[in-house]
Amino acid sequence: MENLVRLSVSDFIALTNQTLEYAYQSIEIEAEVASFKVNQNKFVFFDLKDEESTVGCFMMVYQLRVPIEDGMKVIVRGTPKLTKWGKFSITVQSVRPSGEGSLKKSYELLKQKLDNEGLFAQERKRTLPLLPSRIAVISSTGAAGYRDFIAILDERWGGIEVMVAHVQVQGEVASDQMIRALRYLNELEVLPEVIVMIRGGGSADDLACFNDEQLVRAVAASRVPVLTGIGHEVDESLVDLVADMRASTPSNAAERLVPDRRDMTERLRQTSGFLHRSLIRSIDELARGNQVKLQDALRHIRQSLDHSQQRLESLQSVMIAYNPQRVLERGYSIVRGEMTAGKIVTIDTATHHITAEVHNVEKR
Amino acid sequence: MSKNDNISGRTISEKLALLGELTAWFESDEFSLEQALEKYADAEHLVKEIERELTELRNKVTILDEKFAS
Repeated sequence: MENLVRLSVSDFIALTNQTLEYAYQSIEIEAEVASFKVNQNKFVFFDLKDEESTVGCFMMVYQLRVPIEDGMKVIVRGTPKLTKWGKFSITVQSVRPSGEGSLKKSYELLKQKLDNEGLFAQERKRTLPLLPSRIAVISSTGAAGYRDFIAILDERWGGIEVMVAHVQVQGEVASDQMIRALRYLNELEVLPEVIVMIRGGGSADDLACFNDEQLVRAVAASRVPVLTGIGHEVDESLVDLVADMRASTPSNAAERLVPDRRDMTERLRQTSGFLHRSLIRSIDELARGNQVKLQDALRHIRQSLDHSQQRLESLQSVMIAYNPQRVLERGYSIVRGEMTAGKIVTIDTATHHITAEVHNVEKR
Repeated sequence: MSKNDNISGRTISEKLALLGELTAWFESDEFSLEQALEKYADAEHLVKEIERELTELRNKVTILDEKFAS
């Protein structure tokens, strides 16, 4: 006789789920989304379909990291499950767009949503410190982009304490790891002055983790200013848009973070030259000022001397004019003695001294 | 500040700020030749110190032990 197992419906469903779980711990399905809807702002339902088949999917809203809509091609990771109502569906752990078209569509939808919230507004952008001394880097230490960043940083500037949070920078877990790193760095007792998010170039799918809504919000919420250097110049991620400053590449991030020590040395030399010229100019000005004062003093002395000379000459002229000898030379004579008849008088002319006797004196 | 003051404890950023202050003084109305010689010597000392640091200083990179994988 056949050994049949008799089960209740609940047991049957439980056994089926156990079997499914054993057989498919986690599966990935790539398909097109149909009948996408969100109930009570909590529960997400949609179908995955291809040309021949359809399967229902269920997930919570908080698990939905990128916008999804009907017609979009996605990759769903989840577990097959039979519900207690006997309906077969996939309980979704994660969903991400697949293919260039879907990635672009999802990107545009989320960009519009976050832009409407003002997350990309210019007024939110903070200025990075001019010369940071303590920075944090979120990147994969094995990545070429990280090595480029550190090499350019070392070449340009020194004395910076660089803390590196090693995370995956592509794949499904990358966004969560970067979010955890951001939170960790924002909770440090001594905060870094800047957080730099670095990743080298890659395909749109490789860079898709930088378009994760929760990661974008974590960057927006960071207490520490964030600088990004993700992909190549042409790549633009939502994390780039929300960051306080966006560099085009990892190397460019290092260039934007610190000045070049060679430029600084040149500027120092220019400063030194300027100070030297200022000092010399000031000394020259002082010397010129003193020379002018000296010349003024000399001129004053000369003028005073000239004046004295003129006065002396004038006095000399007067003296000469009053000299009795000059009068005598003009024919006059000086008579000394008593003007009485019989008395002896002396007469001085210009050329002779005469002694004479007075014969007669009459009043004129 | 005179060059005898200890500036070794200051960061390069602080030293650059000090140099900026000295340079500004040379352009300001406070300038006087009596003080200029001392300030010039201070500035030259700072310039040399910063140049030396720019040549010698290296960055210190630390990979955090914290694991960010769930």
